[in-house]
Amino acid sequence: MESIEDSNKEPSKQAAYVSFKGVGHKYDPLPTAPMVIDSIDLDIHRHEFVAVVGPSGCGKSTLLRMVAGLLIPSHGEVSVFDRPVTEPRDDVGIVFQKANLLPWLTVRKNVLFPLKHKYGSYSANDEKRANELLEMAGLTQFADKMPDELSGGMQQRVGIIRALLLNPDILLMDEPFSALDALTREQIGFDLLDIWREHPKTLLFITHSISEAVLLADRILVMSKRPGTVLDLIDVDLPRPRSSKTINSPRFSELADLIRGYIYEPNVPA
Amino acid sequence: MNQTFPLKSWVKQQANRFAPALFFIGLVLLWELVCQVGKVPNYILPSPSAIITAFFNVEFSRWMTHLWATLRVALMGFVLSIMIAIPLSIGMIRSELMNRVLYPALIVIQSTPVVAVAPLIIVLLGTEDPSRVLITCLITFFPLVVSTTTGMLETPPEMIELSQSLRAPRYRETWQIRIPYAIPHIFSGLRVSITLAIIGAVVAEFVAAEEGLGYFIQFSTSFFKIPQAFAGLIFLSVISLLLFKSVQWTQAWFFPWSLPKKK
Repeated sequence: MESIEDSNKEPSKQAAYVSFKGVGHKYDPLPTAPMVIDSIDLDIHRHEFVAVVGPSGCGKSTLLRMVAGLLIPSHGEVSVFDRPVTEPRDDVGIVFQKANLLPWLTVRKNVLFPLKHKYGSYSANDEKRANELLEMAGLTQFADKMPDELSGGMQQRVGIIRALLLNPDILLMDEPFSALDALTREQIGFDLLDIWREHPKTLLFITHSISEAVLLADRILVMSKRPGTVLDLIDVDLPRPRSSKTINSPRFSELADLIRGYIYEPNVPA
Repeated sequence: MNQTFPLKSWVKQQANRFAPALFFIGLVLLWELVCQVGKVPNYILPSPSAIITAFFNVEFSRWMTHLWATLRVALMGFVLSIMIAIPLSIGMIRSELMNRVLYPALIVIQSTPVVAVAPLIIVLLGTEDPSRVLITCLITFFPLVVSTTTGMLETPPEMIELSQSLRAPRYRETWQIRIPYAIPHIFSGLRVSITLAIIGAVVAEFVAAEEGLGYFIQFSTSFFKIPQAFAGLIFLSVISLLLFKSVQWTQAWFFPWSLPKKK
């Protein structure tokens, strides 16, 4: 635990991974207080795409906040690159459910915001990088617009490339597409896969859409209802690159049904 | 339906558009009529025409002297209260202890009627500008503190998490995230405060002053120059309205993104 700083400075070269060892959490230290999540064991390999599905309130987002160091588990340990996470770390990119763009900044300045916020300024080079990211997201002609002039899907694209600006090795996404309509949602999912192929990241993706998880992820962590525990860890053996054709394959339905079984069967119908 | 009766719909549209002005003009005309027909004496309720005459009977330079006295105090009090309220709000947001210590004190100050305290302040600070500015400031600063803290607390928690995960210094969280998010609230506070500032200045003049529009109204009333008092009152309302509007214009000019979206 000598210094988390070191791990922040030399992220990408190591055989990096994110690891949960017997992680549990309760917000209240009282012994009788309920656990939000309990005995979570999970190893995420470097540049792996792991999706987490589970009923609402099962503590999916809690896992994500623990990787970011925004929440320290009361039980067990989360480590990144073999070092325990004990404080917020700046080598992760976070994408939230809502794009959360700053309404007073143009799209380009929103993308550059992490630099401006962390260091107080950015260079012409950084601006070039922002422009490249904007181009990758197909947003070049919107760079000087204000966020409220963009559709929900475009706003979330900005949210994603903002998270990529500092080139983090870990990308944390908290139900990033759930505020979007179905068509936009499917398209932006495939776009995310393209981005991930070109710029490999270790990706932790929280979702409550089973088909989205199967379509995008390498592995899926299925969580129980509160207190959230691991019900299963499913290898998604669908070939890549995945496309809208993937949805039609019998294996896709098998996997989706398997997960659906976990989510619905243990519960009495609501 | 609008297409079938173009003229009718046009008349309707115009009537709709000018309804507030027409209502106002109608009210003034009614007032004039009641005064003329009912032969209400000017020292009870002056007619609008008598008020207008009284307004032009007072020299322009005298109006300006009184206006400047009131405006000076109102604006100084207003600016001072901004300078106190914003840092205080930031402090209260950033420090739980400061919040716990200051909040009760603020409530006490706010629930004390400033009109009652005004004479004591004048005893304490004298009859010059400082006491008048302090009275104005006491009236104006509470809405500002409330709106600024409310606005800063309404920052999406995700943005705060983003700031923490960037390990950004705390002051940038305040200046680059919290304060801008509070701008719409700060401006609603400013709109309330600027009109309160005029009230504060007038209250102070009622207690002790030799000039100012509040003083002018009081002095006119005590000499039974009721039309002249009314003229002063209306002048004061117009100034207050203009100040209110200039706060709105400032927001529209510098922070257009903070305005509610037009449909």
